[in-house]
Amino acid sequence: MNPKKLISSIAAAALKYVSLLLAVFAALYPLLSIVVTAFKSPEEYASTNVMTLPASWLYFDNFIQAWTKAKMGLAFFNSGIILLFVLAGSIMLSSMTAYALNRFSFFANQIVRNLFLFASLIPGVAMQVTVYQIMYSLHLINSLHGYIILLLGTDVISIYIFLQFFETLPKSLDESAIIDGSTYFGVFFKILFPLLQPAVVTCMILKGVATYNEYYMANMYLQDKNRFPVVATSLYTFTGPLGNQYNFICAGVIITIIPALIIFVAGQKQIYAGLANGAVKG
Amino acid sequence: MDEHRVKRRRAFRQRLVSQRSQQLFTVFVFLLIPLTLLGVFTYFPFAKMAQFSLYDMRYIGKRTFVGLRNYLDIFTREELFRTLRLSFYYLAASFVQLALALFFASVLSFKVRAAGIFKGIIFFPFLVSGIAIGFIFKFFFTRGFVLDTLLIFMGFEQSQLPYWLRDSQVNNIMLAATSVWRYMGQNMVLFIGAIMSVDPQLYESAEMDGANTWRKFLNIILPSIQTIIVLNMILSITGSISAFEPPYVITNGTFGTGTYFVVMNSMAHEKQKVGLAAAMAIVLMAIIVLVTAIQKIIVKVFFEEDKNGMIFSERRAMKKRLAKKRKEASA
Amino acid sequence: MKKFIAIALSLLFTASLAACSGSESPPTDAPASNAAASSAPAPSAEKTDEPVEAPELPAEAPSFDQINIGDYAGITANLQFKTHRTDIVDTIFQGYIADFQKIYPNISINYEAITDYAETMTTRVSTPDWGDICMIVTTIPNTELINYFQPLGSTSVLAETYNFADNKANAGVTYGISSTNNVQGVLYNKAVFEQAGITAVPKTPAEFIDALKKVKENTDAIPLYTNFSAGWTMGAWDAYIGGSATGDPDFMNIKLPHAKDPFKDRGDGTGPYAVYSVLYDAVSQGLVEDDPSTTDWEGSKGMFNRGEIATMVLGSWAIVQMQEAGPNSADVGYMSFPISVNGKQYASAGPDYNYGINLNSSVENKIASLLYIKYLVENSNFDYDQGGVPTVKTHELPSTLAAFDGIELVADNPAKESEEDLFTNINVDSEVSLNMDNQHVIDIVEAALGGGKTLAQLTDEWNARWTASQEKYGVTPE
Repeated sequence: MNPKKLISSIAAAALKYVSLLLAVFAALYPLLSIVVTAFKSPEEYASTNVMTLPASWLYFDNFIQAWTKAKMGLAFFNSGIILLFVLAGSIMLSSMTAYALNRFSFFANQIVRNLFLFASLIPGVAMQVTVYQIMYSLHLINSLHGYIILLLGTDVISIYIFLQFFETLPKSLDESAIIDGSTYFGVFFKILFPLLQPAVVTCMILKGVATYNEYYMANMYLQDKNRFPVVATSLYTFTGPLGNQYNFICAGVIITIIPALIIFVAGQKQIYAGLANGAVKG
Repeated sequence: MDEHRVKRRRAFRQRLVSQRSQQLFTVFVFLLIPLTLLGVFTYFPFAKMAQFSLYDMRYIGKRTFVGLRNYLDIFTREELFRTLRLSFYYLAASFVQLALALFFASVLSFKVRAAGIFKGIIFFPFLVSGIAIGFIFKFFFTRGFVLDTLLIFMGFEQSQLPYWLRDSQVNNIMLAATSVWRYMGQNMVLFIGAIMSVDPQLYESAEMDGANTWRKFLNIILPSIQTIIVLNMILSITGSISAFEPPYVITNGTFGTGTYFVVMNSMAHEKQKVGLAAAMAIVLMAIIVLVTAIQKIIVKVFFEEDKNGMIFSERRAMKKRLAKKRKEASA
Repeated sequence: MKKFIAIALSLLFTASLAACSGSESPPTDAPASNAAASSAPAPSAEKTDEPVEAPELPAEAPSFDQINIGDYAGITANLQFKTHRTDIVDTIFQGYIADFQKIYPNISINYEAITDYAETMTTRVSTPDWGDICMIVTTIPNTELINYFQPLGSTSVLAETYNFADNKANAGVTYGISSTNNVQGVLYNKAVFEQAGITAVPKTPAEFIDALKKVKENTDAIPLYTNFSAGWTMGAWDAYIGGSATGDPDFMNIKLPHAKDPFKDRGDGTGPYAVYSVLYDAVSQGLVEDDPSTTDWEGSKGMFNRGEIATMVLGSWAIVQMQEAGPNSADVGYMSFPISVNGKQYASAGPDYNYGINLNSSVENKIASLLYIKYLVENSNFDYDQGGVPTVKTHELPSTLAAFDGIELVADNPAKESEEDLFTNINVDSEVSLNMDNQHVIDIVEAALGGGKTLAQLTDEWNARWTASQEKYGVTPE
């Protein structure tokens, strides 16, 4: 390598890492107030401001309190079940919908597509009373399955992700399978579905985080907070009409981010390996 | 012989018919549940909302049919429409966000030490639950607190710094920036996903040709993730028209930060003007549908591949080249 | 690196888990967690030594005045109670349940504390079985109460025993009993006032602004803390425009819907304008916190207690909050809003949320609900503990309100018959939204800070909208 090239590659590397470190700093710095508050006792929180560092970084009481008072053990369990079923259901339903819409021509195809498109554009205001009455008449209130069904029923983005992805899968794949005597169900489940991995990953990340943090409907429909706390609603235990216990909330926020982050970092390798195997133009 | 041929033809036709019915059956089975859910949880409530928009009503109590008066109200009250101007802040922010996401996605797609950690941390803000966002940014922007401390450390004077959430010169920019902070990592991950699905052989051959990083980005990465970039642009435009969360949780729409959606939400819940709020929702939707339609047309014209697999810019470049050639030939 | 973080995290987790299980041993935690545990499963006969015979129940639940604690002994019911008090649902309320179950061991009560209570509950009451008891949301107009809530008895009879029995009532029937009641005044820090050299409590808007100026000159405290960014704390200013500002119990519900330009400056330092002018002047003269857009409600309690804030305009419920926020509870003072009508001071007093019983509950649940509400109102001391005026007329005022001796409390009279919805109709239609949303008060602060509109300009706009809505509902302003 000649010296000129060496210098420019060092400069490029420096630029790369400096920009990454800046991004890391920008991502973490705003969270300072949360971390500081999470380590302060209620008295300390009341008597100091957010910029005063905590007296002890080993004060874990808020984490313990947040965990027990907000029933976070059960909340993680419930959220886990919800995530499992919502992700599985949403991936199945959305990919099936996308398959039907992308591969077959039938008289209402464009209409159905537009129905899904419009649904994603509806600003949801003044609709919750009607939705509540529907949920009530279907006996879906106060049950995990009811909540799961509702989350699946209002899922439009995933369909869009799959629809986009199907455009990139060549039709010759299905055609040759059909000639070999496979059914359409067979084509979808045996041949196409395994190829959908990149879309599945995208969907899991988007829908997964959205479901994990979904608060509004959980608050409305999972009413029995002793049986059905979920991660997103558990922290609202510490909000009240006369004020919020931010030291518990901050500790709780840290507790709720950590598992999500672990899954993300640990799962990354598999995720990206899967993407590379999919090896289809995105 | 003849009979045999007829039989075969009939069998073929039968197979076609059965194939067609099989197709329709598949469509029916695959769409049954999603369409039922869509109808029950989206379109029925939507129809109700459309109905509400024709009434003067609160959630509970008598309602009076007023026809299109709510719509008339919206169009005659310019203070409602003015809030749509704030969309441009969020639109600008979302383009900054896409650019940053693209940059970091590209950087992290090449060899980087501890790439996993970097990706995780940049993605991190997306995981922070909504309950904490208001808390984080109120203190972030409080005078002398998180942000000011950093800027003073960098050499600014406190007196040079504005009141971030109060000063109408900067507050909308700050709010839009919080949404960049929150969603940039998510965009980045989507882009990384798209970049990873590019055939690695393309890079190898490019490297053999001695292409530098910038060339690789321009010639391999960018074209291969064009679809997802365009999709994200469309989403960010519709998203900025209905921007809601940052002003709602951080400033509650005060000091000129109330977007159309924030105002609509307060009509529906605090002011209890359900009919007017429903009409506002329908108008907002009409605007979004219109903008989406325009975008679709633009995308179709400029980005869709024609039968030769070329997009608009390539066709133009080709035309230019041809014209140049012709000129040269004639000269 | 990755591994190291993973290990560190897992250590953190196990540490917190271990600490969790350990935390159950300290005695301070025990009562709350025990109470929480006992509330979940239905209490059974095993708990009582001698099982009581189940009482015979009438076909209809009795009225609230006819039922007494001790009646229907042995009644079995499982009640669902919806409340907005997320802060005390696992502590104080569980104590009430335990206490109540000493008398009625077979009545179990499950509280659900709801964040965003008003919005959520408005949606939920649209279906018949939302639970048994709730705090009646203000989005339900009084004329509609009959469709949702169990009638509790004749308003005139209940009014003999209970304060504000006419608040959730219509056509002579009461549907809700108040949980606690607020007196509207102003919090002030006695130590700061003393340090500033304020000897007498201000009684007029001008005196109050002078006092704030003295605080600014002579102390380091913030004269008036608006708590602007919390939002709802701004809406609190509406509570003073009736009784406190006019001394007239008919003003809010009877006169306001008919009044011509009710928000204009009366010129004598009374009426709604005078209330809002205190806010406007304090903000425009720099007598409030530096940056209203980043105020911190939680932090303000400690700041008040420590003497870093001189005054805050909030209802009497806030007194206890300020006292408990630090060591200086003796410094927390409460005075009437600085308005005098013909030289005399008044203070608005009114109910907080009312308890209501689901019309669709079973008879035994209705009876059990009546018993529990009776217990809460008469025996639990909840209203007193919250620092408010008690619901039962014979109960004494809490000591926190001692400063209100000699100040006449004014409770708003209900609207005239056939005009029950008029105030709400005009209030909603005009979008002035008194006591509903905070926008109009927020507008005052923004105008005062930005040097834009004057208060007179703002109130002129409200008056114009008010008049237009009056016209729409066929009212000729007088």
